[in-house]
Amino acid sequence: MSKNLAPATPPNMPVTPTIRQKGKKEKGMQRIPGQKNFWQRLKNQKALILMSLPFVIWLIVFRYIPVFGWTMAFQDYKPQNTFFEQEWVGFKHFKDLFNEPTFYRALENTLGMGILGLIFGTLAAITFALLLNELRFTKFKKLTQTISYLPHFVSWVIVANIVTTMLSVSGPVNGFLEMIGLIDTPINFMANPNMFWGIVTAAEVWKSTGWNAIIYFAAMAGTDPQLYEAAKVDGASRWRQMWHITLPSIRPVIIVLLILNIGNLINIGFEKQMLLGNNIVAERALVIDLYALNYGIGMFRYSFGTAIGIFKSVISVILILIANGFARKVGEGRVF
Amino acid sequence: MKKRLSILMLLLVAGLLLLAACGGDNSVDSDETDTTVTDNTTDEKPSEPVTLTFYSEDGEEKSFDDPIAQKITEATGVKLDIQYPVGGNDETIPLMIAGGEYPDLIFAKGDIGILIEAGGVLKLDDLIEERGDNIKAMYGDQLDRLRNSLDDPGIYTVGTAGVHNELLETSGTFQIQLEVLRELGYPEITTLEEFEDAISTYYEMYPEINGEPTLPLSLLGSDWRWLITVGNPAGFAGGFPDDGQWSVDTNTGETVYKFLEPEYREYFKWLNGMNAKGLLDPESFTHTYDTYISKISSGRVLSVADQDWNLTDARFALIDADMEERTYAPLPVTLGEEYVHQGLKDYGFTGGWGIAISSTTEHPELAFDFLDWMASEEAQILVNWGIEGEHYEIVDGQRVLFDEVRERMNTDANFSKETGVGYYLHPFPRWGTGAVDSNGQSITTDTREQIVEDQLDVEKEVLAEYGMELWIDWFPQQNELEISNHGAAYNFTIPAGSDIQIIQQRADDITEQRITQAILADPEDFDDLWDAMLDELEAAEVSKLNEEMTKLTQNVLELWSGNVE
Repeated sequence: MSKNLAPATPPNMPVTPTIRQKGKKEKGMQRIPGQKNFWQRLKNQKALILMSLPFVIWLIVFRYIPVFGWTMAFQDYKPQNTFFEQEWVGFKHFKDLFNEPTFYRALENTLGMGILGLIFGTLAAITFALLLNELRFTKFKKLTQTISYLPHFVSWVIVANIVTTMLSVSGPVNGFLEMIGLIDTPINFMANPNMFWGIVTAAEVWKSTGWNAIIYFAAMAGTDPQLYEAAKVDGASRWRQMWHITLPSIRPVIIVLLILNIGNLINIGFEKQMLLGNNIVAERALVIDLYALNYGIGMFRYSFGTAIGIFKSVISVILILIANGFARKVGEGRVF
Repeated sequence: MKKRLSILMLLLVAGLLLLAACGGDNSVDSDETDTTVTDNTTDEKPSEPVTLTFYSEDGEEKSFDDPIAQKITEATGVKLDIQYPVGGNDETIPLMIAGGEYPDLIFAKGDIGILIEAGGVLKLDDLIEERGDNIKAMYGDQLDRLRNSLDDPGIYTVGTAGVHNELLETSGTFQIQLEVLRELGYPEITTLEEFEDAISTYYEMYPEINGEPTLPLSLLGSDWRWLITVGNPAGFAGGFPDDGQWSVDTNTGETVYKFLEPEYREYFKWLNGMNAKGLLDPESFTHTYDTYISKISSGRVLSVADQDWNLTDARFALIDADMEERTYAPLPVTLGEEYVHQGLKDYGFTGGWGIAISSTTEHPELAFDFLDWMASEEAQILVNWGIEGEHYEIVDGQRVLFDEVRERMNTDANFSKETGVGYYLHPFPRWGTGAVDSNGQSITTDTREQIVEDQLDVEKEVLAEYGMELWIDWFPQQNELEISNHGAAYNFTIPAGSDIQIIQQRADDITEQRITQAILADPEDFDDLWDAMLDELEAAEVSKLNEEMTKLTQNVLELWSGNVE
């Protein structure tokens, strides 16, 4: 229902330089030069265009055509009526949405958990990739990497159960804290609203660090070994090499991923919050997607749900423009 | 620039072609459905069995080929192709409506309202009048309770709830371990005070059971079960019947969001005290259903406030582990002597949900005859008791189940699914537990004698000490309780996307969170928290909710009075 504007990469046209065919001037026919140019280039690149066509069609069918569904947000949509029988209501659903105090709470929680996840998720992934990159024993390195991204394939239902069991009053975490004498009475972690964001972030980091590190790790592998050799000759320690060679060389990757992730800040889903949450922490656990489910689709209020979807898309676009603009200002790699 | 534009045009054309292709498909589909509507069968019974598709929101994977199903096909010429929701049922009905394709029979629960609005189901009034003798006989003067609404008083569904019920068991009230009653010398427990005394005394005597800490009272407030283990028990303690989230005056139709009633405040204040005294399981609001059931199965939870059907697994586990004395006895506990427990209340036929016949079916009359036959005495005996000579025999003119059949019925969870005995009761039209056939015998297999026979030995022993035969003897009897004129408010069809629905969702969110916080708070803060919650509810327009809901109840009362044409 809610159409997420994925970080909108425009349908990339192949930009391979074309060989201009000079000296083949046509006589007698008056053609608009641009047009001729176009058909000729099209002909030259037909293989490339044919190859990219399926993806462009895919993009249009699944990313652009569904946007027509946004009209629902301005109607009182009833599934049994055709498009022309729907009743148009203007901005009614948006007004309802912005008058709802619960919605602002959901927005706060979504952005809060999104930002925490972004900061700690990125830091953890980069740190992990750096450490892994320093390992010299290849077999151990491969094994560690494989193990580290396994949690990515575990469903949130299971992760949530593991987390609640670990953190329960009689669970291992409390047992450990009591054993080392840090606390006297067990802490009921899951019943403390102030800890909820932290617990969600920690679970997220545990689950996705290994997976997210893959791309950084791959970027590091592309660094020119001569740089390290030169640094070694100059007497740089391992730390210095990490700081002055490895990190700068993956900086463009970091920036691009950051921009894309910032665009997705608001799309954090609701599985983890729904599965880990309970009535005590509900105030801190309500996120926009869950709100849209309970108050929109769950009540057959398709139009209201669509309005929320549009709102999310607008926020995403704004966030991505800000992040991209910032990257452009500081002269770093950017998305567009 | 130009280059880009042209390519975009090209893509647009490609996209349009694709769209056109999809559009073509659609039109073919709708043509098909249009032509089929007019094709009605008028035969009494087709020579070859006809397969009717049946979507049941409570359905599961099951083929229609067990012995009972075969008998049904023999008698009606109908085979069912049962469809069921896959992965959550929120979207199935809206998808049906959007696609305009319906199965022949639909059990849509509360979504029936949008189906009626979309014109997806048939009005059954004429069919009932012309050929619904069995249905008329079954519902009798409660036929009005099947009606849809004041604005549209047609009958669209039949079935689901039993007609003429006599409760022989209760569910959803406080329950206490038989062992606690035995150990304490069979005390009389009818108030919260006595209940608290009993569990705290036992807790002091046995702080550990089987080497693990004893839990005097455990609830399950971490998911939707909050409603049945936290919200509803409060109502029972306050002497209210179960009306979902509502408190209804059945004579005037005055309806109030139930947590506004002072009795609820009093109950939760008591629960708050229980928590402060360490008598409430501290994980009551955070543990998962699995953890909750495993705690109960270990025998260390002295009391619960839950529905029997939610505890079935734990009960079987306790019996398996030879801890029959750790199973539970229901208690008629209220806030004080002046309150009357409504556990045995007769809500009458509750109406509301039922099976509808879709407007696109090719066999509307056959489908109706099938439903009508299901309401007949012959069918009701078949679906309840099974086949004579195979599942039961007649001894001295009485139906008696074979021992091994009864044994399997009580212990084997797959029994009814495999044999079909007892399987085709819900959501079809059915008689209730109090109904008798033309020979004066009970239509259902749950008779007083049989419940006694099924009791565990420990249960019998404890009951005998109290001088009772069944647990319901402990409760105020059905004939002492007021009869409900509106059925039960939780069965009302609430219009989708209406103010009632939205405000109620808001109010439910508020109460589930705030009451949970209030229970776990310091007892000194309880009153402030409760008042703050009432303010919050007021801000969420709960008074408007009460007004709207009162109107709805009054409409139901008028509709059911039998004076609406």
